[in-house]
Amino acid sequence: MKLVDKLLKIYTFGILGLIYVPIVVLIVFSFNESKSKVVFTGFTLENYYRLVGNFRVWESFYNSIWIGVVVTVVSVLLAILMAYGITRYEFRGKTIIDSLVLVPIIIPEIVEALTLLVFLVILGIDLSPYTIIIGHVAFDVSFAYVVIKARMVGYDPQYEEAARTLGADELRAFTKVTLPILAPGIIAASLIAFLESYDDFIKTFFTRPAGFMTLPVYIWNMASRRGFPLDLNALATFVVALALIFAYIRNRVGKGVYL
Amino acid sequence: MSYAVELINISKSFGNVRAVRNVSLQIRKNEFFSLLGPSGCGKTTTLRIIAGLEEPDSGVVKLDGKDVTYVPTHKRNIGMVFQTLALFPHMDVYDNIAFGLRMRNYPESEIRKRVKEMLEIVRLSGLEHRRIHQLSGGQRQRVALARALIVQPAVLLLDEPLGALDLKIRQHMMVELKRVQREVGTTFIYVTHDQSEAMVMSDRIAIMKDGVIQQIGEPYEIYMKPRNKFVATFIGDAINMIEGDYLEPGIVATSLGQIKTIASDEYFGKRVIVAIRPEKVLIGSEVTGDVDNVFEGTVSMTIFRGAFIEYRVMLGHDIEFIVFKPHVGSSAPLLTPGSSVKIGWNRDSGIILVE
Repeated sequence: MKLVDKLLKIYTFGILGLIYVPIVVLIVFSFNESKSKVVFTGFTLENYYRLVGNFRVWESFYNSIWIGVVVTVVSVLLAILMAYGITRYEFRGKTIIDSLVLVPIIIPEIVEALTLLVFLVILGIDLSPYTIIIGHVAFDVSFAYVVIKARMVGYDPQYEEAARTLGADELRAFTKVTLPILAPGIIAASLIAFLESYDDFIKTFFTRPAGFMTLPVYIWNMASRRGFPLDLNALATFVVALALIFAYIRNRVGKGVYL
Repeated sequence: MSYAVELINISKSFGNVRAVRNVSLQIRKNEFFSLLGPSGCGKTTTLRIIAGLEEPDSGVVKLDGKDVTYVPTHKRNIGMVFQTLALFPHMDVYDNIAFGLRMRNYPESEIRKRVKEMLEIVRLSGLEHRRIHQLSGGQRQRVALARALIVQPAVLLLDEPLGALDLKIRQHMMVELKRVQREVGTTFIYVTHDQSEAMVMSDRIAIMKDGVIQQIGEPYEIYMKPRNKFVATFIGDAINMIEGDYLEPGIVATSLGQIKTIASDEYFGKRVIVAIRPEKVLIGSEVTGDVDNVFEGTVSMTIFRGAFIEYRVMLGHDIEFIVFKPHVGSSAPLLTPGSSVKIGWNRDSGIILVE
C-alpha cells in the first residue's frame, strides 16, 4: 500500500473516531453500575429503570414530539406554497423574496431567538408552547423550502398540463400528479423540518414559558445539575437510537424515489 | 356538417411578440392535419390555444361546431401528446393510460377492458406494469398516444412528438401514427417543423411563418403549387429560382434571357420569380429539341445522393442550378465537374411566384 493511501486511511478513521468514539463511550457508560464515568465496574440497567420511571423525561419527550409535528406540518405547507409560487409565477420582488426566505439559515440562531423574544415582549404576547412553535416555524420554513424548491425546479409543468388535457381540473391535476411527483421532496423536507425542531435548544429555551420543557431543554437542565447523573447517558443513548431510526427511514424513502 | 376544429381570426401575443396573427383554420373530421413551420412560427401556440392551455387575445375556437374559446382544458374533449410526452413518472403504463378514464369516473372493470383494447391498438400488450423509465423511446411514444386516445377525444393534438427519436424509429412511428389514426378514426392535428413528417402523414398541411398561415393544402398541392417564396423554399429539398419581369403572356425576361412559362394574365407587368424543382430539370442527353427552355452551363459539383445524383450547374456566372437526376436503366457515366452541359425544362415545370 502506498504511503498516501495509508495516511488517507488513518485520516478517515481518525475523523470517524472523533465523531463516534464519544457516542460509543457514552452508550457504554449508560450501562455502568457505579456512578463513575471513567471506570466501568459492572453491567446494569439501573439507569434505564430510573429514566423510564422519570415522569419529567416522558413529559419533555412528549412536548418535543408534538411541537415537532405541528412545526413540521405548518412549515412544510408554507414551504410548498412558497416554492410553488416562486417556481411557477413571475412577479416583482421575486428574487428578493427568494433570498430573504433563506436568511434564517445563515444568521446565528441566538440572534434570531433573542429578537423573537424581544418582539414577543413588545407585542405583549405571553410565552407559551405556541411561541416556541412560531420560533421553530420561522427557520424550519427555510430548510423545508430549500428542499422542496429544488424538487419543484426540476418539475416540468407539462405533467400538470397533460393531466388537464386528460380531464383533470386544476385541483385534481395538483393532487393526482404534481403532489405525488413532488412527494419524495416533501417527505425529505418533513424529516429535516422535524429534526430541526426536535433538536432545537436555543430558540426553545428563549421562547418557552417557565417550567415548560422539551427534551433538549430537559437534558441541558440535567447536565447543568451537579454530578452529571448517569441517567443522562441513558437518555442520550435513547436519543441516539431514535436518530438512527430516523436515518433508516430517510434511506428507505430515498430508495423509493423515481426519475 | 360542422368542422372538427375551427379557428376564426385567432391572435395571441406574448409581451411584444405577436405569436399568432389572425389565424383561421377549418379542420375536417377524421382529417390528419399538420401545422408546419420553422421554430417560433406560432404553430405550438396555435395548438395550445385549441387545447385551451393558452387563451387567445382575440378570435373564436370551435370544437365540433361549439364555441369553446373560454371553456377550460379539462372540459374540452381533446387529447394531447406533448413534445416531452409528459408521461407520469410515478405511475406504470397501465395507470398512465387509465388516467383519463379515472378522471371521468369510469368503473374499474370498464377501464380494464378499454386499456386492454388500447394497448392492442398501440401494440404494447404485456407491458401494462412496466414503469415509464423502463421503456424505450418508441414505447413511451405509444404510451403517450394510448393515454391521449383512450378517452376517445374529438381531436388529438400532437406537439412534435417524434422529435426526440432517432431517424429509423421516427420513420417507423410515422407509419404507425397514420395507421392508428385510420384505426381509431379521430381527427389528428400534428405540429412539426419537419416537412418530411408532415408530407408523409398529412391529408392537409398548413404552413406557418411569423404567426401567419402562408398556405393550406394537400402535400401534393403545396409541393407543386407553393403560393410564395417561403413555402417554395421551405417545402422540398431544394428549388431553383430566377427573378425576372413578366412582360408578355408566357414570357419572363430574366438575366439569363427570356424564359417561357405558363401564360396567365394574373402576373402581367409584375416582377416575378420563376421556380423550378430540381427533379424537373432535364440535363445532358435529356435535353432534346422540343424542350421549351434550354441553357448552356458548366457542372460545378457532382454529388452522389444514393437514389439520385445531384448536379450543381453554373449558368452564366452567378446563377447556380440544382439538378436531380435519377439513375434509370444502365448507369450513364457521371458528368464531371468542369464539363459543359445543356440543361432545360418545359414551360409547365416553372412555378411563378410573386414576392
